[in-house]
Amino acid sequence: MSVSRAQAGAELAAIDDVVKRVKQSRMYRLTGQITILWGVLQIVEYALVSAAPGTGQAGSWAIIDALGVALTVWMISRLRGKPSANVMRVIGAFALFYGFGFLWALGLGHLGGREQEVFWRSLFLFGYCLAGLWFGYGFLVLGLSLTAAIFVVYLFAGVWFPFAVAAVSGLGYILCGLWMLRA
Amino acid sequence: MTAALDEVIHQPVRLRIMAALCASEGEGLDFTHLKKLTGATDGNLGAHIDHLTKAGYVEATKAFVGRRPRTTVTATAAGRAAFARHVAFLKEIIAG
Repeated sequence: MSVSRAQAGAELAAIDDVVKRVKQSRMYRLTGQITILWGVLQIVEYALVSAAPGTGQAGSWAIIDALGVALTVWMISRLRGKPSANVMRVIGAFALFYGFGFLWALGLGHLGGREQEVFWRSLFLFGYCLAGLWFGYGFLVLGLSLTAAIFVVYLFAGVWFPFAVAAVSGLGYILCGLWMLRA
Repeated sequence: MTAALDEVIHQPVRLRIMAALCASEGEGLDFTHLKKLTGATDGNLGAHIDHLTKAGYVEATKAFVGRRPRTTVTATAAGRAAFARHVAFLKEIIAG
């Protein structure tokens, strides 16, 4: 059997298409799981802060975020391929996000409590938006829709703000994560 | 590695199946996912997986997830090597 150049080109294009779709699907599955994890953690964090208001807030926030970072790194380290390179990138990304966040939230920005809640959540969602430019529109949809929802909560939730922002953000992450798993 | 046309993989649906399985880096893919990636019907996809299994290129394992049966297909080492030879053959044709 002989194969023409056009046939060979078409077969290679078909292979490229399938490989691209498989890689995107794996990326969505992993990100979906991580997104659900962070959604659950946000709800747990709200529950902890509600149980120990005031002085317990910073401690709860630090414990939950550290747990989230550790679990995210662990999930990525289980990937096949180049786990150590991916782990280093993710640790670097978290370091940059937290470094940038602390610089503005506590150093230069002098943000109040509610503004900090919105700032930190939108900062990480901004990461999703940027990822969407490379890895698929699902990330962009998640980032933009949840950021918009959080701003609506900030403007209109009044005294319900702590509960509303945790519910909208936490449930939003979980729903978006489930959607990514099915995409 | 010697580049060579592989008659089994050359068929369009089987080519897509092998490309998908080799891209999944040994994790394997379930039947539903493969159906979406290849655009084949249930019967058609099943027949092609059987063909690849007989050639020793893939392994299909059946398990229950909850109450639902799930078939997971994985490329064997022989299948990955055959796919690599086939891709090398196609690239040689393009290179002239």
